[in-house]
Amino acid sequence: MRIVVGQGSCGIAAGAAKVYSAIEKIVPETCELTITGCIGMCFLEPVVDVYDGNNLVKRLVKVQPSDAEKIIAFISGDENAVNDIEITDEDKDFLLKQTRIALRHCGIINPEKIEEYVADDGYKALEKVLKTMTPEEVIEEIKLSGLAGRGGAGFPTWFKWNAARQAQGDYKYLICNADEGDPGAFMDRAVIESDPHNLIEGMLIGAYAIGAKEAVVYVRAEYPLAIERLTNAIKEAEEKGYLGENILGSSFSCKMRIKAGAGAFVCGEETALIESLQGERGMPRLKPPFPAQSGYWYKPSNINNVETFANVSWIILNGGEAFSAMGTENSKGTKVFALTGKIKKGGLVEIPMGKTLRDVIFDIGGGIRNDARFKAVQMGGPSGGCIPEALLDTVIDYKALGATGAIMGSGGMVVMDETTCMVSMAQFFLDFTTKESCGKCVHCRIGTKRMLEILSRIVKGEGKDGDIELLEELCYSIKDGALCGLGQTAPNPVLTTIKYFRNEYEAHINEKKCPAKACSDLLSYRIDAEKCRGCTLCSKKCPVDAISGELKTAHSIDVSKCIKCGACYNTCKFNAVIME
Amino acid sequence: MIKVTINGKEITAEKGRTILQIAENNGIEIPTLCYIEEIKPYGACGLCTVEVEGMPKLLRACSAVASDGMVINTETPRVKQSRKIALELLMSDHTGDCKGPCSLNCPAGTDCQGYVKLIAEGKYKEAVALIKERVPLPASIGRICPHPCESACRRKMVEEPISIAFLKSFAADEDLKSDNKFMPEIAESTGKSVGIIGGGPAGLTAAYFLAVKGHKVTVYDAMEKMGGMLRYGIPQYRLPKEVLDMEIDSIAKLGVEMKNNIRIGTDITLDEIRSAHDATLVAIGAWKSSSMRIAGEDLEGVYGGIDFLRSVALKNPVKLGDRVAVIGGGNTAMDACRSAVRLGAKEVYVIYRRTRAEMPAEKVEIDEAEEEGVIYKFLCNPVEIIGENGRVKAVKLQAMELGEPDAGGRRSPVPVEGKFEILELDNVIMAIGQRINISGFEALELTQRGNISADAKTFRTSLEGVFAVGDATNRGASIAIEAIGEAQKASDVIDSYLSGETVGYKKPYVSERVITAQDLADKQKVSRAKMPQRSPEERRNDFNEVNLGFDEETARNEAKRCLECGCHDYHDCKLIRYANQYDVCPERFAGDKHNCKKEQKLVYIERDQNKCVLCNLCVRVCEEDVGKSLIGLVGRGFTTVIKPEFADASVTEFCKTCQKCVTSCPTGALKTL
Repeated sequence: MRIVVGQGSCGIAAGAAKVYSAIEKIVPETCELTITGCIGMCFLEPVVDVYDGNNLVKRLVKVQPSDAEKIIAFISGDENAVNDIEITDEDKDFLLKQTRIALRHCGIINPEKIEEYVADDGYKALEKVLKTMTPEEVIEEIKLSGLAGRGGAGFPTWFKWNAARQAQGDYKYLICNADEGDPGAFMDRAVIESDPHNLIEGMLIGAYAIGAKEAVVYVRAEYPLAIERLTNAIKEAEEKGYLGENILGSSFSCKMRIKAGAGAFVCGEETALIESLQGERGMPRLKPPFPAQSGYWYKPSNINNVETFANVSWIILNGGEAFSAMGTENSKGTKVFALTGKIKKGGLVEIPMGKTLRDVIFDIGGGIRNDARFKAVQMGGPSGGCIPEALLDTVIDYKALGATGAIMGSGGMVVMDETTCMVSMAQFFLDFTTKESCGKCVHCRIGTKRMLEILSRIVKGEGKDGDIELLEELCYSIKDGALCGLGQTAPNPVLTTIKYFRNEYEAHINEKKCPAKACSDLLSYRIDAEKCRGCTLCSKKCPVDAISGELKTAHSIDVSKCIKCGACYNTCKFNAVIME
Repeated sequence: MIKVTINGKEITAEKGRTILQIAENNGIEIPTLCYIEEIKPYGACGLCTVEVEGMPKLLRACSAVASDGMVINTETPRVKQSRKIALELLMSDHTGDCKGPCSLNCPAGTDCQGYVKLIAEGKYKEAVALIKERVPLPASIGRICPHPCESACRRKMVEEPISIAFLKSFAADEDLKSDNKFMPEIAESTGKSVGIIGGGPAGLTAAYFLAVKGHKVTVYDAMEKMGGMLRYGIPQYRLPKEVLDMEIDSIAKLGVEMKNNIRIGTDITLDEIRSAHDATLVAIGAWKSSSMRIAGEDLEGVYGGIDFLRSVALKNPVKLGDRVAVIGGGNTAMDACRSAVRLGAKEVYVIYRRTRAEMPAEKVEIDEAEEEGVIYKFLCNPVEIIGENGRVKAVKLQAMELGEPDAGGRRSPVPVEGKFEILELDNVIMAIGQRINISGFEALELTQRGNISADAKTFRTSLEGVFAVGDATNRGASIAIEAIGEAQKASDVIDSYLSGETVGYKKPYVSERVITAQDLADKQKVSRAKMPQRSPEERRNDFNEVNLGFDEETARNEAKRCLECGCHDYHDCKLIRYANQYDVCPERFAGDKHNCKKEQKLVYIERDQNKCVLCNLCVRVCEEDVGKSLIGLVGRGFTTVIKPEFADASVTEFCKTCQKCVTSCPTGALKTL
């Protein structure tokens, strides 16, 4: 028997490390206790799996340290000991309905042991490539697969590899972009924490294809566990001869290192990332020249995202055709999404392209928390846009999602219900991009700031006639004029919310009302005297003593004192506090 | 070599050149703030964007290398919109004064700060040259102008404004005294001729500028000498006519033909003038005194204010008794009362229906008149001039009090019911305003007020080829510098009209700051130079000039008090040039602005972050061209600023001679100290 505790950052945050130590204290010697990465079921963390050999016997969820004894009882033969913490059949569907390629080892193998990766066909693809394929053949196989950049732009991977391959230069670099910065996105972190060797293998195949002798993973410093596990994996791979000189006895040599980025969102833009790698201020370069011609240290360089590399070894082992058999005409393979927000089952979802948003949000994600009404989903973080209920049947495909005004993006999917104000949502993302703008180009540096100012005044109820049009004018100009992807996509959340929720903007501006009742400046609270029982609970909760009234008589709110914190509203048991 | 098409024009160019380089070589201007030839393209300002056929995105011309067959458009609506927004965004976070408030408040837009500085440096001829870019009569105007420039001068928040007007006449006097007087360069003859009706400040100004532009100018004037109100409305003690004569003479020297004693309608018709010239400018002024519409105005001994002043100027015998009252509180009233004193009147009253504080006349005039013995009677209004045997005997005054403020904020006088006063008098001079005498110009469309209707931007009248400016137009009489300002602008319009395409005047867009006394708290107080004057006892007996003029030392020291509010880089600033070219309206994006203190860490270079457009040229030049990297970017997004990294002596000594950052700056953010 083997007990495996899921220890991704998410699991640890939910208490997985404490669960591990509780089990460790009482686990019998006959039973192996080990860890794995993230299975992707954030809503069920901490997750503990019990294996018999390679067979998963039980999956236990929301495990607490106090459950340790039950688990030990179970492995000792008490079959019913863990019934209360066993995953339900419905929740099992969360994984069963997925198709896992990039995440295929996540939550299964121990990310800190190369042996487990190797045992699951690890480094076989690298071996195949080095022993049987020319770089051109590798590129051809990737072309056949239809793999496109998973970082968001969806540019064909083979094309970039080929450009870097063709570029003149004695020394080339392969770079992995692990600067995952979208709020609500954690796909790349999960891959690195849970399956670092898969990333290394994919990168090595890429390095072989383009002729790079050096590979760098640019990962944000806010991912300490990912850095730790990747550092360990690189060391393991070097020791086993998968990295370094004459890999697997071939003439191919490649070294790999990690560069921890200081957490600037713009460094996810490839030229800004290169600047940062060179020790410069993270600011985008002018393109052309593209990195394939002049990249890191002005040498030919290729940059791909973590998830892109995570697909490569599977493609090599299973063939490009098997990959392109999945998906739609112009979007092949699978895509990983980080499902968050007002969703019942938040976590990592990998599905073939061509599924609909409804499939992901309702079929896999289980719909909206508290059975509230779905309002919109934000795709692609601050660079993406929101998609309303009417478009839930949009298929997951670069083109189809692009047509909505949103983007595929790197995989962030933030689900919103009817309590989300779309203007505040746009304001939130603009606040993010404004702070993350590098300050280089005028349109982004000042334009996003001005957009944020306009949005802020609308949310405060100080919006003016013409503000929507002014926002739109700014949006289109910034898309046209900004230097890099950050600026060019920054207006998307605003444009899509105006497109689908213009009435909410108008309500804020014209009627000074927030239809979602989320903007505190536009709310007022009062007490319905007929419903109020005079229980005094609200007046005790009120932090500014704005509520007065005798016991068992109707209370009232002094509007001039009220700070609209909502404490009374949340406290009242009789629905007597009215928010409007 | 490759072939590209820019704006429909096929161009052969060297391979490997950027679109910007090719355009520049072929005389096509693409705006940019962040590109200079010497260093690598950077792409920050976003102004050089162009559209290339077949490319969905706009390209940055500074970095996009042209390829064979490329079809490039540099002026499409999309490109212009992108540039306009970029400029509006830049200006929305650009805090500085393009021009000093003095210059902005001068109706003629005189570069006050510029010539004050030249005076401080002792460069009087250069100062006059600069003044005469706007005002061709500086010695005269400097003496009599109510100087809106000084009212706006920020130095008044420290102690008192710079004595800008007197500095102007000082410099002009120096020039008039010199053997090497300033003469403007005159453009080649255009073969066109302009007839100007009226030889006052407006007519003379237009004559000067049109002559400089190469046109043949003839000025027609009804009076026996040129000068208009400067000669016949302003008393000799304020503006000696010898000074005016010299300035008119310098205009005549430009080849301007001056015809006096010609009155339109009697000696010649407007149509005759129109047909004799390619364009006509009407600048006839407002020469009729306004009536008070009270009984007794036609009694003997009652004069109109400007009529009285004209008679004095013409040295016509004006009979004044011992007791004279001047009605009105403006500058004409001051001129009239002080002239009356000089003519020997024993008791001279100024009757004004509000109080001293509301008087429109200049304070210095009010004080000087008082020094000369003028008696003010405030809060009373004449309701009847009482006569005896057809002559003035007294005036009946209605007592007034101040009521509610009117639309302009001035408290309106209201009668105190039943309270009157009789003031015994020999003469009444009504200085309450002036109107236009339209005879001879009936063909022109008038405004409701009875003034000539002229377009505010093109100065066109209802007759083809006839323009009008000054006191005779639109809102009526104002100060001389207003008329001069209009005439200078009209001369540009007329010049464009003569070359075939009339271009109206457009007020240039400028960046302005709001400054409070607190911002100037660190300035050392230095008193304003006092104009030396003859004593009241002496001057009240004759018409000789009251002011004695600054000596050179006083003038130069006074000039040095200037705070130099306007940007040193205004004339070379690319940002403001483009902002005007693209007709920006940054107010719509008004929001947070950088608010940094000026900084002199590099000792010989002053840096004003509030004007910085973050083109990063200074940083890049220092790094790429100079190889020093003494400055760098700090912060992110909107809060990004440029800061020097070191300030030790060796570094700053280097900066002293290098200065490349300063010369590369496209705005006035950097300044050599």
